[in-house]
Amino acid sequence: METDVVVIGAGPSGVQAAIYAARRKVSTVIIGKPSNSAAADARIENYFGVIGPVRGRDLLDNGIIQVKSFGAEFVEENVITAERDGKSFIIRTESGKEYTAKSVIMATGISRVKLGIPGEKEFIGRGVSYCSVCDCNFFKGKTVAVIGDETEAAMAAELMTKYATQVYWITKGPKAVKALVDRALLAGVIMKDVSPKEIRGDGKVESLVLGDDSEIDLDGVFIELGAKSAADLAMDMDLMPEMDNTIKVDAKYATKVPGLFACGDVVGKPWQVARAVGQGCMAGLSAADYAKGTK
Amino acid sequence: MITELNESNFDSFIDSHNKVLIDCWAPWCGPCRRMGPIVDEISSETKDFAVAKLNTDENQAISTRFRINAIPTLLVFKDGVLVQTLVGLRPKDDILKIMSGI
Repeated sequence: METDVVVIGAGPSGVQAAIYAARRKVSTVIIGKPSNSAAADARIENYFGVIGPVRGRDLLDNGIIQVKSFGAEFVEENVITAERDGKSFIIRTESGKEYTAKSVIMATGISRVKLGIPGEKEFIGRGVSYCSVCDCNFFKGKTVAVIGDETEAAMAAELMTKYATQVYWITKGPKAVKALVDRALLAGVIMKDVSPKEIRGDGKVESLVLGDDSEIDLDGVFIELGAKSAADLAMDMDLMPEMDNTIKVDAKYATKVPGLFACGDVVGKPWQVARAVGQGCMAGLSAADYAKGTK
Repeated sequence: MITELNESNFDSFIDSHNKVLIDCWAPWCGPCRRMGPIVDEISSETKDFAVAKLNTDENQAISTRFRINAIPTLLVFKDGVLVQTLVGLRPKDDILKIMSGI
């Protein structure tokens, strides 16, 4: 489907960006899961005009109602690939929806990468990996576990079945769309509905202890939390992220890639709703103007 | 210019230089694509180190030999001996600091 603006991320910044873009009368699609926003679980009492504390989730729910009322399409999914195609961008979601956009706003937020369990830090590069795509090849014929609930974990688990002989997926209930989960299960992944507790080994990873105190003997643990990271999405659209994984923007919230904008936590600290919303307003206007200019 | 290492020139490269920095990478690895330009810069600026790249996908025996199971990984050699293994994307300053201590 062709559209003027795609907003990636449905936190306060992305929702505000979509509201402003839609009100500029450009066709707008906002893709993301409000429940994954850092604001969703926050209690907010420092936001102008709102006497708090108010639940972030309630603000987001209202925002989604607003954004739809102004004519934008809301897709409650993760983006799994983004690429440039000439002057356009092609964005694909986890269920296979595809959008060709004149302009893209990255409002992905900052993803949590580390799990924070004993053994994780100790065994980085010795069996612990944060990138299955990077490191799959080192685990041919081995036993591995993938940890995470979202699209990245589902796709990592499926990918690893092509290399490892045994793949466990440790998830407290998958949040990825059913099609992705089914594909992993069909590929032979063994799902374990339990929390990871500790990574053990001697010089290298040897086992994973789970919340029920069971222990799996294995060679690798892939920690794949959340959706595809902003840094990865940016690189797929020919934009090099900063070393701290933030995206550099100018005063119009434009990146170096024509038509690609960014706002919210992904452009840096402080991670505040008020700041994210202000930036979303600016990015939404800039992206809409850009899309109009290319017509 | 950065030397591309493989099974046939790896050992001779290590043996013929006093200090060596090797960037172990693969084409589809996102963090490797970010590490690449940093290593290129270091290569053009350092006088003490010979800098090389190793495609781990094409040279799996070397990866196994040095127990590489995550990329990007930087291998640092001194007098033919592996003295440091740095796993993951690192800022340029961190790498320079480690190199200066070798």
